[in-house]
Amino acid sequence: MSFKSIAASLGLAALGALALAGIATADTGGPLVTGEWLEKNLANPKVRIVEVSVEPGLYERGHIPGAQNIVWTTDLVDRLERDIAKPENFQALVKRLGINDDSTVVLYGDNNNWFAAWGAWVFDVYGVKNVKLLDGGRKKWEAEKRPLDSKVAALQPGNLTISAPNTRLRARLADVLEASRNNSAVIVDIRSPDEFSGKVFAPPGSQELSVRAGHVPGAVNVPWSKAVAEDGSFKSRDELKKLYADAGIDGSKPIITYCRIGERSSHTWFLLTKILGYDVKNYDGSWTEYGNAVGVPVVNTAGTVWGVK
Amino acid sequence: MTHPASGAGAPPAVPLPASGTPDADPASLTFDWKRGEVALAAAILFALGGAAYALHGHGLPAQALSVLFGAAFGLILQRARFCFFCMFRDWFDARDPRGLYGLLTALATGIAGYTLVFGAWLPDAATGRLPPDAFIGPVGPVLIAAGLAFGAGMAISGSCVSAHLYRLGEGSPTAPFALAGTLIGFVLGFSAWNPLYLAAVADAPVVWLPQRLGYAGALLAALALLAALAAGLARTARSPAPAPAAPRPALAAVLTERWPAWIGGAAIGVLGTAAYFRVAPLGVTAEIGARARQLGQALDRIPARLEGLDTLRGCVSVARDALVSNNGAFVLALVAAAFAAALAAGQFRPQWPDGSQIARGLAGGVLLGWGAMTGLGCTVGTLLSGIMAGALSGWVFAAAIFAGAAITLPIGRALRLLPAPAH
Repeated sequence: MSFKSIAASLGLAALGALALAGIATADTGGPLVTGEWLEKNLANPKVRIVEVSVEPGLYERGHIPGAQNIVWTTDLVDRLERDIAKPENFQALVKRLGINDDSTVVLYGDNNNWFAAWGAWVFDVYGVKNVKLLDGGRKKWEAEKRPLDSKVAALQPGNLTISAPNTRLRARLADVLEASRNNSAVIVDIRSPDEFSGKVFAPPGSQELSVRAGHVPGAVNVPWSKAVAEDGSFKSRDELKKLYADAGIDGSKPIITYCRIGERSSHTWFLLTKILGYDVKNYDGSWTEYGNAVGVPVVNTAGTVWGVK
Repeated sequence: MTHPASGAGAPPAVPLPASGTPDADPASLTFDWKRGEVALAAAILFALGGAAYALHGHGLPAQALSVLFGAAFGLILQRARFCFFCMFRDWFDARDPRGLYGLLTALATGIAGYTLVFGAWLPDAATGRLPPDAFIGPVGPVLIAAGLAFGAGMAISGSCVSAHLYRLGEGSPTAPFALAGTLIGFVLGFSAWNPLYLAAVADAPVVWLPQRLGYAGALLAALALLAALAAGLARTARSPAPAPAAPRPALAAVLTERWPAWIGGAAIGVLGTAAYFRVAPLGVTAEIGARARQLGQALDRIPARLEGLDTLRGCVSVARDALVSNNGAFVLALVAAAFAAALAAGQFRPQWPDGSQIARGLAGGVLLGWGAMTGLGCTVGTLLSGIMAGALSGWVFAAAIFAGAAITLPIGRALRLLPAPAH
């Protein structure tokens, strides 16, 4: 046996040991994984890494080694109905992503994990267990100078069977109206204060607008950004608990989160559900539905109706 | 009046050593340094490198790379005189195909490079998805009209947008007016965009050849077409005047003489692949378009909502809020590096413009701008990067711009509005 092949087999053994160590810790317990944990588990066959970014070309030019890609506009939504992907399409996606019954799925993306969190919500709706977010998303991974790769890893199709959609995770317009009227749930508006007051209809550059600006009567405004630290990662559990308790959200009542279309609110949905363990529904459609609906009350403290003061 | 563009291919004004012997080793010949100019050129290139380094240090790696890619592109364009219109005119007037061979080389190299990248990014070309950011546009009458206008604009102003940019670095008297005209043309294009889009762009097919033919099929078909074009050019070629055989210093070949077009072309093919892989396809009009859009909206000439434009793939997307976008950094570095290259070559010859240069620059520039906006890019984006990416729109645009130039040139000359061919 040559020195080279000995060295190679030693290397393989070391890799295998590393992978085994990873498997042993594949369940990190919490809903978040750190960059350090993920980098150690890149070769772990039980870990499936999936990028959900908004900017096109980002995944292709460099992603976390071994990560698969989700294009949210085609993979996670239905093309006919305004809705999340239909079960048969989502089942096919999960198979293509190589997700098995015993997989730990780690989602990450650009824009502070907004769409990764929305993806985590869709995965949860379809009963996929062990779905985690990479804390801090792409931004933090890059800031920590961890490796990227531009190859697409070939995978065996996954064997996981998804469940029927879990309606308890999802608020519809009727649920929001009901909660607003009867105070049966806390409604959290995670948009900026200017969107909440109705000073602006949407953040600059948004093409999809609403006819009315403002918020759902009774909603509490906790902008999503208050939940993240400078580096994009979530604040600590205690800080988060205090942040929401100060706004009157302590988990004693069911919660509904909404934003403009429903993806930024997934970020808040994720932390309230997964980190704080509260009972939360995300309102997919959010202000682009509510603000355009006829016959619903809109609180507008800025006095902008039809865009005119 | 001699137009500086007509100097393409002419022997450079390099003082050749008097005692040249046929078998002298060029490397041993002394090079007549223009020390001041070469030092200034080196300082500019050094500053560009420093700018890239600083941008990278400030967490802007894409802008940093854009500066380096832009500088490389500017150097190659200036040194190889890679000017789409001059290449065409050399063949059209004198049946000298060397420039066009350079273009064909750039396309062949780039197509091969893009295919390698695509294979890694989208292993299956037939999924219905298009590769991200590639310049694959809708093919229809609007694209053809845009190409014809752009071709006419090249013939009138003496070159295309990218060549005007590198000529800006040579002190061309026409380029500033052509670029100003381009900005105006963009504003006109944007203001007329919505009806055109609704009538004929929205439903035009977006054809990505690898989707139809597979990667291998598209690559082979494109290479075969390029080979056929090269063979066709070779048949029409008149043998060019033999180059002076006098030996010259190796440095002169790099710094002052025109690089062979095919070397420039091969370098551009490699650069195009690298730029697409790391940042975005080569293109020089995104920033001009974004600025024109701001200008036009400030002047109330452009509607606030431009239908479909923000979702179409091309050079004409919306500007980000960043002070200097990637494309802005690319274009500024291009001009600066072209200036440095021209200085070192002794080809920086600023001139005062005369009335005809101003008029032709502005008029041609408006057509260039309208064509580049409406065609969603220019000779670099839609044509070069588009064909490299396997877009049918690239080929159609190429045919239309050369047709536009071939129609405009003789008519303009017959009317004595355009300079006669240089003989």
